[in-house]
Amino acid sequence: MQRNLAAAGLFTFAVCSFTLLAGGASESKTSKAFTTQQKRWWAFQPVTQPPVPAVNNRAWVRSDIDAFVLAKLEEKGLKPNAAADKATLLRRASLDLTGLPPSPEDLQDFLNDSSPKPFEKVVDRLLASPHYGERWARHWLDVARYADSEGFKSDETRPNIWRYRDYVIGSLNQDKPYDRFVKEQIAGDELFPGDPAALVATGFNRHFPDESNARNIAQRRQELLNDITDTVGVSMLAMTVGCARCHDHKFDPILHKDYYRLQAFFANTRIEDNLLLTTAERRKEWETRNALWEEKTAAIRDEMNRLIEPKRQAMFQESFEKFPVEIREAVTTDAGKRTPFQWHMYYKVRPQLEYGDSQAAAKLRGAEQKRYNELKTQLAAFDHIKPEPMPIAQGMIDNGTASPKTHVLAVGVYASPQEEVNPGFLSILDPSDAKLAAPAGLDSSGRRSALAKWIADPAHPLTARVMVNRVWHHHFGRGIVGTPNDFGVMGERPSHRELLDWLSAQFIRDGWSLKKLHRRILLSAAWQQSSLYREQAAAVDPDNKLIWRFNRRRLEGETIRDSMLAVSGLLNTKMGGPGVFPPLPEGLVTRGGWKKIEDQPETVRRSVYTFVRRNTRYPMFEAFDMPDTHESCGRRSNTVSSSQALQLMNNEQVLDWARGLAARVSNDQGLTTASKVERAYRFAYSRPPLAEEVDASLRFLDRQSSLAGSPEAAFVDLCHMLLNANEFLYLN
Amino acid sequence: MAMIGKLNHHWRVSSRREFFTRAGSGLAGLALGAMVGEAATRRDPLALKPSHHAPKAKSVIWLFMEGGPSHIDLFDPKPKLNEMHGKPMPVSFGRPITAMGTAGNSLMGSPRTWKHYGQSGLWVSDWYPHIAQHVDDLAVIRSCWANGLNHVGSVCQMNTGDILAGRPSLGAWVTYGLGSANRNLPTFVVLMDDKEVLGGPKNWSAGFLPASYQGTQFRQGNEPILHLKSPEGVTRERQRSKLDFLRQLNERYADDKQEDTELEARIESYELAYKMQAEAPEVVDLTRESEATKKLYGLDDPDTAAFGTNCLLARRLVERGVRFVELYCGSGSGWDAHSNIEANHGKWCRVSDKPVAGLLADLKARGLLQDTLVVWGGEFGRTPFNEKGDGRDHNPWGFTTFMAGGGVKGGQTIGATDEIGLRAVERPAHVHDIHASMLHLLGLDHIRLTYMHNGRAERPTIVGGELIHELWS
Repeated sequence: MQRNLAAAGLFTFAVCSFTLLAGGASESKTSKAFTTQQKRWWAFQPVTQPPVPAVNNRAWVRSDIDAFVLAKLEEKGLKPNAAADKATLLRRASLDLTGLPPSPEDLQDFLNDSSPKPFEKVVDRLLASPHYGERWARHWLDVARYADSEGFKSDETRPNIWRYRDYVIGSLNQDKPYDRFVKEQIAGDELFPGDPAALVATGFNRHFPDESNARNIAQRRQELLNDITDTVGVSMLAMTVGCARCHDHKFDPILHKDYYRLQAFFANTRIEDNLLLTTAERRKEWETRNALWEEKTAAIRDEMNRLIEPKRQAMFQESFEKFPVEIREAVTTDAGKRTPFQWHMYYKVRPQLEYGDSQAAAKLRGAEQKRYNELKTQLAAFDHIKPEPMPIAQGMIDNGTASPKTHVLAVGVYASPQEEVNPGFLSILDPSDAKLAAPAGLDSSGRRSALAKWIADPAHPLTARVMVNRVWHHHFGRGIVGTPNDFGVMGERPSHRELLDWLSAQFIRDGWSLKKLHRRILLSAAWQQSSLYREQAAAVDPDNKLIWRFNRRRLEGETIRDSMLAVSGLLNTKMGGPGVFPPLPEGLVTRGGWKKIEDQPETVRRSVYTFVRRNTRYPMFEAFDMPDTHESCGRRSNTVSSSQALQLMNNEQVLDWARGLAARVSNDQGLTTASKVERAYRFAYSRPPLAEEVDASLRFLDRQSSLAGSPEAAFVDLCHMLLNANEFLYLN
Repeated sequence: MAMIGKLNHHWRVSSRREFFTRAGSGLAGLALGAMVGEAATRRDPLALKPSHHAPKAKSVIWLFMEGGPSHIDLFDPKPKLNEMHGKPMPVSFGRPITAMGTAGNSLMGSPRTWKHYGQSGLWVSDWYPHIAQHVDDLAVIRSCWANGLNHVGSVCQMNTGDILAGRPSLGAWVTYGLGSANRNLPTFVVLMDDKEVLGGPKNWSAGFLPASYQGTQFRQGNEPILHLKSPEGVTRERQRSKLDFLRQLNERYADDKQEDTELEARIESYELAYKMQAEAPEVVDLTRESEATKKLYGLDDPDTAAFGTNCLLARRLVERGVRFVELYCGSGSGWDAHSNIEANHGKWCRVSDKPVAGLLADLKARGLLQDTLVVWGGEFGRTPFNEKGDGRDHNPWGFTTFMAGGGVKGGQTIGATDEIGLRAVERPAHVHDIHASMLHLLGLDHIRLTYMHNGRAERPTIVGGELIHELWS
């Protein structure tokens, strides 16, 4: 890594001087010729199908993965570790695939299973569990910068964006082919019209933070386009294209122009927060019922509208006048005459000009107000015939077939357009303009379809490699490429390039099946190794890049919470639906709101369903390195801090879960204290305690009973500390 | 120059390695051995790290007047504006897009009375009579400018350098760059009024830096930090006993994992948390401060008691080695005087004048001012044209920030706005320049303070930042 950085430093300097000499405007012209070194960059080469290498210690090899790993180890004279014991393996597999520890029964079943391939059965069972999707969706949500709110000042709720989170969970549980998963998220509306899931999937490009009261609309639109371009770049291609926003990328062969060529695929997209998810049939039925309600209430509603319309107009006018003339023109220009760019300004400013009935009604006074409220009561009498609102999603669609122009922007400034560009891919892979075709029967440009097909093409050198590497990263704690969001020069080099290719080719051959990939990895001897440390191996490979042992690592905050809930017996396994609001620590306020009193069962659901308020991450997750949702994150930080300790020691909820565990192990009559201790260990650590651990626990309970006031309280303290201990917090 | 400024953000990539190689462990009690590179940061993120050059300041107290105080009514008198009162703004000043679309409104003079103060004779208006007594310690930068139009982006930029959220706060960069000088307290503390700062915690977020560097909001009352108090009914003795048992569990687990220093760091983190439980309540306990001190900060006056308390807390925090204290005055856009600036600023000036003056006096009397950089300012200033007849709109094109202590040469003004106070015209100082200069005073080079993130060696000033040398020379 450091050697690479140094090399990159030299390289940078050369590029910088070159650019400076060439001058800003002619930058892209002068840098068109890529160097041989750039063209030969490993990540841009086609995925190969390397032969499985021959190794000496064939007894260790369980799968082809192992041959690749072992070959590298043997090259350095290293031996891999033996397999971890069965209890450790089961715990590891359960936490890794489902984010929940195994129950004592799971462990017993596994230990008692005398069939030929008991661990395969475990892996298959875990992959079939709906908890698999809940666990692995969180990884993708990090990449997708998912949040349930807008960010910026008001951080308003995005009321239907949770469907995207459920879409990811569902897609993983169904083992949706990854190429399809990509296509749906980039262009689901164009490529799979009529499939509600594909509409929901377009929420991927809707996760940018946004400012509801932005005054400079043109700049705001540019910022959204940048966010989308950057995110697609790092998430699906592991290319930091954002570095080319102001100038040619300093390290990777990504031209300034390429940034805007990529961005042009999105130039015609706009937010659509009312994507109907019902079938045409259901919609028709709804419309019939609604028409009836409208008919019966027409007189009432007309009068209400007459009362509030002047207020609404006044509010519109006041807001309208705050905008610069170009924006006002975009609003006042006839729909038929609006340019594509004006349409985008129109859609972007509209939410700031439109006021709902209740907002306008709040301005009424005196008799008008009284009358309005009377009418409102009358209207409510018809609620029973009013159909429930249809399910809707928040996503991104095209604004018709004609797109606004895209220009290269001088140093990324929205108001400094240079040459015009057409949609196109990274020039080093394909310098020509993309071939575009508006999808038949749809009012859409087809631009995103072209991009989606390019990314999801089995021949694309990056797509499969990037996803395989993400999966490897989460299984091993470090990717084959250590920087999952960056396969460029500033990222790390693959530790096992042939293995990455072999897995990628296999992934595509398996129909882009993620479950098959997980299975292949978990059944390898490489993954099943113990985490045992050996000094001699560490002397050769201190960072374990060659995988001579399993990387022990701390669980994520979400998994810590879920595991505590699971062993306490309190976990509510209900799936899906709008975000939930587990209690916040006293004294924490969030703008945008946090439901004060949540239904108790909702407070103990899996962490992936916790509402993600962009400006205020849930404190427990934040302390344990949940990434900021303002941009894509492919690899979380891993920190140790006293605020983590404070949370786990003093948070009332954690204490509740400790009480849950204590109650659970004490719920049988006639148990000795020692057997209670043993049960607690089995729940918390998937193993019985050693005799000396029982002794130490009993000594603690003895001492603690007087400090805590009762043996029961002391036992809660014991459970509390079992849950705080490293054995609970670490994946081993 | 602009071109170089925009292109140089990758030049010093290798310096980070050098920086970390030099960075050893400063924390006794953690046998962390040879720590270099990211591993060091991961094992003990808050270990003391050497500065890039000799620091002039050890701590920062940043008095953030949230909402945008009017520079032209406080530190930047504009006689010409008063002359042109009621007239439209001449086109020669350039018509900006403003938050409220007010650029076509007539100019509004300042009704304040102004006086020269101190040896240096700096101008201060009658809204800040107490702070005015300290002008000889102040460097008043009259030519600040920023990029945002709205509060949230501008508050965010003043904290993180960018109007778009997601980058680390300056306090987080400082914590990352220097480590902690007192492990029993957070290194970066945020204090505010009873309203929330616009944009909330993302303003003191660690952004893409590890979570250990984020700011900690001190709350009012005797439990300043979330989860500081032991659960109901758990005495200190009982907590200690639990922790002793936890240590046993962790040590047994680590028995055959001696190489894993992270496990050890985690054991240590509980000990630190336990100490913090004792020390943090002590720092917010003002009962041992003298009546004279309390009076100095205005704690005896209901108008000034709340912010005065925060100012006094700030002193107590820097006294104990806390590096970066940020105090919001008017949190939730208090200073946002779109109408009736007279009442709005009248109130917030009264709220802040005596406490800030008290803080400066107290720091000086205790010999702390020379090591403590005090910064006063908002996310932007206010426009010379009126809004709604008696208010002013947002002005990011020109506004005032002052600094004092921590190696700052007092009794001077730096830069200037145009004749009506709309734009910085002489020696403009962008937010990045302010950040670079604050870092410089703390001994950090804003170019060398980098962190690898998504393929870029990111730094606090993104692609900009020039030092405001006048501040110290």
